[in-house]
Amino acid sequence: MKIVTVIPAYNEAVKIEKVITKLKPYVTEIIVVDDASQDNTFEIAQAAGALTIRHIINRGQGAALRTGTQLALGRDADIIVHFDADDQFQAEDIPEMIAPICDGSADAVLGSRFLTKKSKLPKSKEYIIMPLARLVNRLFFGIKLSDPQSGFRALSRKSAEKLTIENDGMAHCTEIIHKLFKNNDRIVEVPITVVYHEFGQKLSGGFKIIKDIIIQKLIK
Amino acid sequence: MFQQLLAIIIIAFFLIRLFEQKKKKQISANEFLVWLIFWLSALIAIIFLKQIDILVAKLGFSGTGINVLVYLALLALIFLVFRMRLTIAKMEKNISELNQALTLKK
Ligand SMILES: Nc1nc2c(ncn2[C@@H]2O[C@H](COP(=O)(O)OP(=O)(O)OP(=O)(O)O)[C@@H](O)[C@H]2O)c(=O)[nH]1
Ligand SMILES: [Mg+2]
Repeated sequence: MKIVTVIPAYNEAVKIEKVITKLKPYVTEIIVVDDASQDNTFEIAQAAGALTIRHIINRGQGAALRTGTQLALGRDADIIVHFDADDQFQAEDIPEMIAPICDGSADAVLGSRFLTKKSKLPKSKEYIIMPLARLVNRLFFGIKLSDPQSGFRALSRKSAEKLTIENDGMAHCTEIIHKLFKNNDRIVEVPITVVYHEFGQKLSGGFKIIKDIIIQKLIK
Repeated sequence: MFQQLLAIIIIAFFLIRLFEQKKKKQISANEFLVWLIFWLSALIAIIFLKQIDILVAKLGFSGTGINVLVYLALLALIFLVFRMRLTIAKMEKNISELNQALTLKK
């Protein structure tokens, strides 16, 4: 089985090498999509041994994931794992993340910060952004998941081939979940640990995601 | 009277500009037609403001013809903004696609 990780990275020069090194024992290949960073994320990722490609202009995390996933499919990946570049996810969680796909019981696995393993989230996230995002999921899409915004996911080749990520920005998390459901993929949530080194997106970022989702819904 | 004259001058200015743009081929035939109709109807509306006043009153609206024109202008603006948003969304999508194609080509 060829397991390919796709890491969207934007100005992650400080952390990217550590992330790549920790991932190596768990996956076959690592693809880093440098989204036109201003720092030397690209050079560092390349030197660390990842297959690194570079966007000419910054198009956002969703766009980077789309590019990376496309490349992974082109390189005959059997399983594609989306992983953040900011060292918040644990590489050790990967075996558990891909297990349901390996044994054929799932097409897509979503990492959840809210199942048994306990991730310490910033208060604004735990009590405002996440409940709101869950509500949007439920109201707009009728989807019940414990973690509405997880960026840690594993997709079978079949699932990734059917998936078209359209949202360039951060709203792609919700978009992907929605489309996995629409494609009738068998979805499993697996508990993961997410470490918050510093506050990631601010509250305003959370509201931007919700705004993006609603606008996309209206444009359709 | 003076206001009407001013409005006509302004409309004439935009009409002349429109024809210039058309001559320099800066706008498409469709776009040209839309704007031509827009400014011509504005011109007619301004010239026949009195009659429009009467018509509006007959239809049972309070207020004068100029109010109705402002409402219509507002509607036109909202429509244009909406269309622009769609165009921009489409453009953004195209840019991302181009970007991806260029990235993967190497
Ligand atoms: N390609 C790309 N990646 C980005 C961009 N902005 C952020 N990222 C990457 O997206 C990942 C997650 O970014 P964060 O800002 O931590 O977002 P998050 O993990 O959803 O939010 P937190 O839970 O608050 O950490 C990191 O690997 C970033 O490098 C961008 O503009 N383009
Ligand atoms: Mg993060």
